[in-house]
Amino acid sequence: MKNILKELYIPVVAVLIAIVIGSIIMIITGFNPINAYASLFIGAFGSVNNIANTLANAVPLILTGLGVAISFKAGLFNIGAEGQYWIGAIVGVWIGYSFSGLPWYIHIPFALIAAMIAGGLWAGLIPGLAKAYTGANEVITTMMMSYIAIYFSHFLLEFGPMMEKGGTIPQSPIIKESAVIPFLIQNTQLSYGIFIALVAAVFVYWLMFKTTWGFEMRAVGYNQRAARYAGMNVPLNMVLSLGLSGVFAGLAGAVQMLGVQHRLYDSFTSGYGYTAIVVALLANNNPIGVIFAAILFAALGTGSQYMQLNAQVPGQMADVITGLIVFFVAAHRVAEVIKGMFAKKQKKEAEA
Amino acid sequence: MKKWRVVLVSVLILLLSVSVFLSGCSSKTKQESTQPQTTTQEAKNKNFKVGLVTDVGGINDHSFNQMAYEGLQRAAKELGVTVNVIQSKQMTDYVPNLTNFAQQGYNLVIAVGFMMHDAVEEVSQKFPDTKFLIIDSEVTDRPNVSSAMFKTEQVGYLVGAMAGLMEKEKVGKVKGTNIIGVVGGMQIPPVDSFIAGYQQGAKAVNPDIKILINYTNNFNDPAAGKQMALTEISQGAEIIFQVAGGTGDGVIKAAQEKNVYAIGVDADQSYLAPDHVLTSAVKRVDVATYDVIKDTLNGNFKSGIVYFDLKNEGVGIGKVNKDVPQSIIDKVNQLAQDIKDGKITVSDKVSK
Repeated sequence: MKNILKELYIPVVAVLIAIVIGSIIMIITGFNPINAYASLFIGAFGSVNNIANTLANAVPLILTGLGVAISFKAGLFNIGAEGQYWIGAIVGVWIGYSFSGLPWYIHIPFALIAAMIAGGLWAGLIPGLAKAYTGANEVITTMMMSYIAIYFSHFLLEFGPMMEKGGTIPQSPIIKESAVIPFLIQNTQLSYGIFIALVAAVFVYWLMFKTTWGFEMRAVGYNQRAARYAGMNVPLNMVLSLGLSGVFAGLAGAVQMLGVQHRLYDSFTSGYGYTAIVVALLANNNPIGVIFAAILFAALGTGSQYMQLNAQVPGQMADVITGLIVFFVAAHRVAEVIKGMFAKKQKKEAEA
Repeated sequence: MKKWRVVLVSVLILLLSVSVFLSGCSSKTKQESTQPQTTTQEAKNKNFKVGLVTDVGGINDHSFNQMAYEGLQRAAKELGVTVNVIQSKQMTDYVPNLTNFAQQGYNLVIAVGFMMHDAVEEVSQKFPDTKFLIIDSEVTDRPNVSSAMFKTEQVGYLVGAMAGLMEKEKVGKVKGTNIIGVVGGMQIPPVDSFIAGYQQGAKAVNPDIKILINYTNNFNDPAAGKQMALTEISQGAEIIFQVAGGTGDGVIKAAQEKNVYAIGVDADQSYLAPDHVLTSAVKRVDVATYDVIKDTLNGNFKSGIVYFDLKNEGVGIGKVNKDVPQSIIDKVNQLAQDIKDGKITVSDKVSK
């Protein structure tokens, strides 16, 4: 219990400080923070539909957030979740529209599993192997693979093999009815995908904290040399954890396609893969924490739309608050470093 | 010691929130006291509510979102209608944002950009009493949706002709390589219609002219636009037409650096580099937005496609550079007249 409180302390304080500073900024720029936060909250949680839309936005964030958290726990900075998301989305949509006549209970799992494998290979195969056996920095390789994935989607959609036939807009055909994950609440964006996300979070928690394999991955992340000394296969664990990280990002892409968008649009970025890094950071890489962090950022997103509508506060204010939260989560580490230095100095003075 | 710090922090937070609350109250009363008196006609217009949903580009994109916003502001000022804007953060926001406006009883909801096509189709079906306007996309099977389409090939033709004539007569900064260029954002219809007109216009007045066409595959990367423009300039291009949104800012920069001409797009971009912008191919999204609001207010809402072309000033050329001789301007104006009279028809397909 005490541990949970301790884990919650930093993110909660970070969010509170961010909200307070956000309101100071709003006062300075001439907006009413009470109105703004009230409409932010109503927009995110004010009605069943709003809650549903918030949860719907949280689904891809939970899944990509889990992916990033796994790699962070293993000491690897997979910042290419965006690309793994795109690969998952591409594969999911492709299977979604090119196979007809399958019953849903085969079509949906087929698309999801293929997307997971694709995402896993995208992260595990090249960045994972390169890191494990040549030491290539995974920050660079995952990022670059991310660009490759995004530009690959441009190629596919802009008069490429995946563009809708006879259309003029660069987008894929709509997936078949049998591949659609149905909506949980009508007239909202919330599909049964939310259950996939929640199950995934519990699964990752079990995997990371209750299995030997999870223990090994965490051990590698904690101290590579000690792990090697203890007889663990460090390179294999690196490949597997990066791969697993990609599996969930890929799943996020497919769930989003099958559950919400139903087709792939030509776009620059979904943004989920990048927000996922923030989600994992705020959750301190705890899979259950990822759920709540994802809901928080999703709420800021949906709420900010409503805030524009009813309080006329620019939506960028939500981005400012997001930035402040990240800053204060990171700053607590800074504060600890300063505190540590301070304590050392005091100790020295006391000795002298 | 630690306890004290916690107490101190919580007191600070409390103080701040109280001050926030107080200032919130005071600004609220101010808002209410400034309500003007209204007559019945004005009251009717004021009760007419128009909502605008931007795509992910946001209202400061120097392009169609911004111009739609300007049209909206003009309607608020001149017609006295009540207006409101939501900027979408991600593609999944489109449906909730459109729905929010419709649910709150807005009379006309404007969706900016073809990326909202599916969202408009979906939401317009659920709210048959709300009128919708979509810009740059064709939704033809709904009685409550109006689609604003722009004959941008016509204005492309005019700027192409101007560029062709400049090369032919070797005036201003033009040395007479007889090569001109285009930097396109993506190979999609709204971009290609400009380019198609440009080709036809230049060839019509200057059959031997060579036109370089390249795409950067994005709309938000000025560095890529600049690079592409510099490449074309090194290949001899002396006038470069940018059809690339934010990427095009780099094209104009490159023209400025190498002392050649650029042609702006969508908005009148002369102000970006008055000496180096030859003219701009302006797509008057603001005119379209304003006109449709006005028509809808007066009960003249037209569903289906509404074309905006040279005739109804939906497209047109922007401010012309002082280096362009009057004779060329006269010829271009004559061509514009011929297009309006139907003597010239311009295709929107790019020829290879």
